[in-house]
Amino acid sequence: MLKITNLHVAVGDNKVLNGLSLEIPTGEVHAIMGPNGSGKSTLAHVLAGRPGYTVTAGSVTLDGRDLLALEPEERAHEGVFLGFQYPVEIPGVNNVYLLKAALNAARKHRGLPEVDAFEFLTLVREKMKLMKMDESFLSRGVNEGFSGGEKKRNEILQMLVLEPKLAVLDETDSGLDIDALKVVANGVNTLRSPDRSVVLVTHYQRLLDYVVPDHVHVLVRGRIARSGDRTLALELEKRGYDWVIEEAA
Amino acid sequence: MSASQATKATQAAKAAPAAPLASPLTTRIAEEFAAQGAAHGPNASTMPSDARRQRALQALTERGLPTSRGENWKYVNLRPLEKVRFAPPSAEGRSAIAAADLPAAVGKSRYVFVDGVFDAALSSPTAQAGVVVTSMKAGAAPVAGAALSPDLRFALLNEAFATDGALIEVARGADCETCVELVFVATTEAKAGASYPRVSFKVGANARVGLIERHVSIGSDANFINCAVDVEVARDANVHHYRVQQTGARAIWFDTLTAKLAENAKYQVHTVNLGALSARSTVHVQLIGERSEVGVYSVSVGGKNQVHDTFALVEHIAPNARTDQSFRGISGGRARVAFNGKIVVRKGAHGTDSRQSLRGLLAGKDAEIDVRPQLEIYTDDVRCNHGATAGKLDDNMLFYLLSRGLDRETALRLLKWAFLEDVVAKIEVPELRRQIEQSLAGQLNESAALNEVF
Repeated sequence: MLKITNLHVAVGDNKVLNGLSLEIPTGEVHAIMGPNGSGKSTLAHVLAGRPGYTVTAGSVTLDGRDLLALEPEERAHEGVFLGFQYPVEIPGVNNVYLLKAALNAARKHRGLPEVDAFEFLTLVREKMKLMKMDESFLSRGVNEGFSGGEKKRNEILQMLVLEPKLAVLDETDSGLDIDALKVVANGVNTLRSPDRSVVLVTHYQRLLDYVVPDHVHVLVRGRIARSGDRTLALELEKRGYDWVIEEAA
Repeated sequence: MSASQATKATQAAKAAPAAPLASPLTTRIAEEFAAQGAAHGPNASTMPSDARRQRALQALTERGLPTSRGENWKYVNLRPLEKVRFAPPSAEGRSAIAAADLPAAVGKSRYVFVDGVFDAALSSPTAQAGVVVTSMKAGAAPVAGAALSPDLRFALLNEAFATDGALIEVARGADCETCVELVFVATTEAKAGASYPRVSFKVGANARVGLIERHVSIGSDANFINCAVDVEVARDANVHHYRVQQTGARAIWFDTLTAKLAENAKYQVHTVNLGALSARSTVHVQLIGERSEVGVYSVSVGGKNQVHDTFALVEHIAPNARTDQSFRGISGGRARVAFNGKIVVRKGAHGTDSRQSLRGLLAGKDAEIDVRPQLEIYTDDVRCNHGATAGKLDDNMLFYLLSRGLDRETALRLLKWAFLEDVVAKIEVPELRRQIEQSLAGQLNESAALNEVF
């Protein structure tokens, strides 16, 4: 279970999260929605340990373990995965190399031997098929020259190969056409299981038609202003965010 | 006279008042030169009476060696020259080495030179059709002409002292990929004697040929090496020239490469700089024939207190010629890595197409990187693109890799590797590329330990 208690986060002098508390039980999918600047992406980055964010108060634990005390790579080893809103292009590093290095890092942490080359390729090919990705992409540089949709698919592919305990997907639906959205949603649904949790950070309810969340939370000025089931997302779609903001004021 | 020559003339004039300061060095060089003849006895090729060598010495004495006040010499450390012995060691002075000490052979035929002198026992000179390799002992044509640019003065020093070298003549139409591998081994301590690698590479029309040139240290790692290479590519020929500098940790390496390309000739020179305490490479390519093409690809990785400095000048003299120049340098520890890439388009060289992509990476808080593209254009209708960057590793890339579970050291190494990759990938000899990749991985491992900046 992911447990966030009274989390305060600043970026420079700017207070972005102001006492955010949230519990995500194992096996559930939670959607985090909210207007621009409400702190959604900050939350995603803080969970993954991105530098540049100062936690001034509060705690975050994953299955009882203090996440905030861990380096980004240690969080990954503990099973945290961040799907980037803007996946980074790294020319000169092969996709397949990164996938293998990432998988082996996770296996090493669990005391498992390095993955067998044949087994690995079989696994990757299977997941790529699911994500409708062309095999040629394996030998390309990480996200190098990828379209927006390809980058997002690549994030989900990495997630499927790494099988994280907690997946935090930061606006993975933004910039996707409807076909790509379905492929991405299908990938996320594949990962759903009683021993994994997913946090979907999104602006729009569209993604939630395909990945049906157990709970929906609305973030306003760095706090959860309202929580509900998926009907809350539908209501937001209809009425916008203003009424939640007014209620929170 | 073009503006560029005027600039050079001004520099020479500026350097003139400094000549008295530089003179003790050239005086000592002349003394060592004279003493050398007496020590070697009546061997004509090593006698200072050899007219060609004497002329080189005289030209050097008149001009002096470059000083750090020279615009194109400000990054290199010239001070170690005060302590070196300029004369080559005697035959007895050279260390005995075994073939097993050398890097694994890459070319079809290998020629090994120990402290500048051909060593038949270590070589495997398999004959290649249309390619003749001979020793330059018998007084071949001078590498450096009389109208030498002041930046090429170290070639004069080579010419005065070199007693041997490789003359490679490739016949018209010959086809010999990865043809010749030259290995220059320095074994002698700088204070006991210098090593003068020397190459004259003449490629006939329509030939296709590959030359691999490596520089290593065995025995002492504190050598003084002064290398001079001259390349002539005749019309329609296609040449790949690989140069790998992996000399010892305390070695001082000076290098001068000159190349002339005839009509439609293609010349690619790949340089990988890894070794030496102080390495300076001066490159001067002249595109004399119309539609000639040169690729200057350079990788330099410095760590600890190494200094790597390259000055690469390409002169477009004929119309419609092309230059592709790429540099990737990483400076870690307290190292200083510099690349000065200059392209001069002479009057009449219309239709010139040149691209420069120079990138430096700073990988240590006490390290320094200098990347400098320069363009001088004296004609219309040219296309000259240049891009130059110098900076630290991208934090976003690093975080992306960490968030995937890669440990910090692996991630940094991977990013540094990725930084060099596109230029290393241009090495078309698989076995050589594998060896270089291995050496680079080793070097990057070392500098990763010094990465407290990130």
